[in-house]
Amino acid sequence: MKIVRIIAQVVLLYLFSLAGEAVKQLLHLPIPGSIIGLLLLFILLLCRVVPVRWIEHGSAAILAYLPLFFIPATAGIVDHLSLFSGKGLLLIVVLVLSTAVTIGAAAHSSRWFARWSMDVPRALPGTEEKGKEA
Amino acid sequence: MILTAIAIVFANVSIYVVMALIYKRFRIPLLMPALTATFLVVVLLLYFEIPYETYMIGGQWINKLLGPAVVSLAYPLYNQRHVLRRNLPAVLGGTLSGLLVGMFSGILLALLMGFPKQYILSLLPKSITTPVAIQISGSLGGESSLTSVFVMIAGFTGAIAGPYILKLFRVRSEIGIGIGLGTASHALGTAKALEYGEQSLSMSSVAMTVCAIAGSFTAPLVAWLLYH
Repeated sequence: MKIVRIIAQVVLLYLFSLAGEAVKQLLHLPIPGSIIGLLLLFILLLCRVVPVRWIEHGSAAILAYLPLFFIPATAGIVDHLSLFSGKGLLLIVVLVLSTAVTIGAAAHSSRWFARWSMDVPRALPGTEEKGKEA
Repeated sequence: MILTAIAIVFANVSIYVVMALIYKRFRIPLLMPALTATFLVVVLLLYFEIPYETYMIGGQWINKLLGPAVVSLAYPLYNQRHVLRRNLPAVLGGTLSGLLVGMFSGILLALLMGFPKQYILSLLPKSITTPVAIQISGSLGGESSLTSVFVMIAGFTGAIAGPYILKLFRVRSEIGIGIGLGTASHALGTAKALEYGEQSLSMSSVAMTVCAIAGSFTAPLVAWLLYH
């Protein structure tokens, strides 16, 4: 009966992505419907409206086979094979350089934000003296 | 029509399963099924001269699972809600800065090299995990298949050159390593982060999901700034 449970949970996840799609259409949001579904599910899990056991097996099953689900979209590259010749190859340079600076920016700013958030309580009124010492 | 669809789905799933088994045996990044299975499907389409539209008669049914796949990312994020809460400023600040630096550096370089609008829109979600990136690209008017390839290259950059990049930028803290690799190189970066320790791994996987959510909001904004 394990497979039935997985299928039922995947159907539930599918309903969340449909609900997200409906919200997107209704409010004319430029965000993918499935992301709205993700946020909806995450909030309902945090508020304990949806117990995690309702989705854990379905989610684990989908995530275990994740790469399978984007093969069809990726295979669309057959109609864009010019990407891999001539000028298209320059995009590899763009991607490598841009990914490198992304790593640097995310890593350093995360430390800056972490330190800043720890400094905030010290900057509150009444604790100014301590702040000056540091 | 239905038989064609079933045959295509069956062939596609079989190819994936075999490629996943081969990867399990050797564990080399270049043998990852996302790469090898897609490559094999493309080679088969070219060899037998099957148009992409014909393949999608079956392919669209696999494609339909992209929506629930994105939704299911809520599950690992929920499991790591305590890591997220404890490090909220670092994760949000780090992923947002990374996303913006990544998007604008990509746009700038691609514009300098004279690439057209479709390529630039397809480049925007490159640091975001594939299922989400494909959907963002589609809704912006980019080309999903190009985006998927770009996401793979960004992932391999983090997985292969990651250690050198981290050294270049003098990143030493486990939190910084995790957020850097997760934001820029999604699942492939997260696999690399594991080598730096438990904390890097959990920060990277949280950063990857937060980056996917934040990127869904920033990508349309950046596209609008560029082309409105």
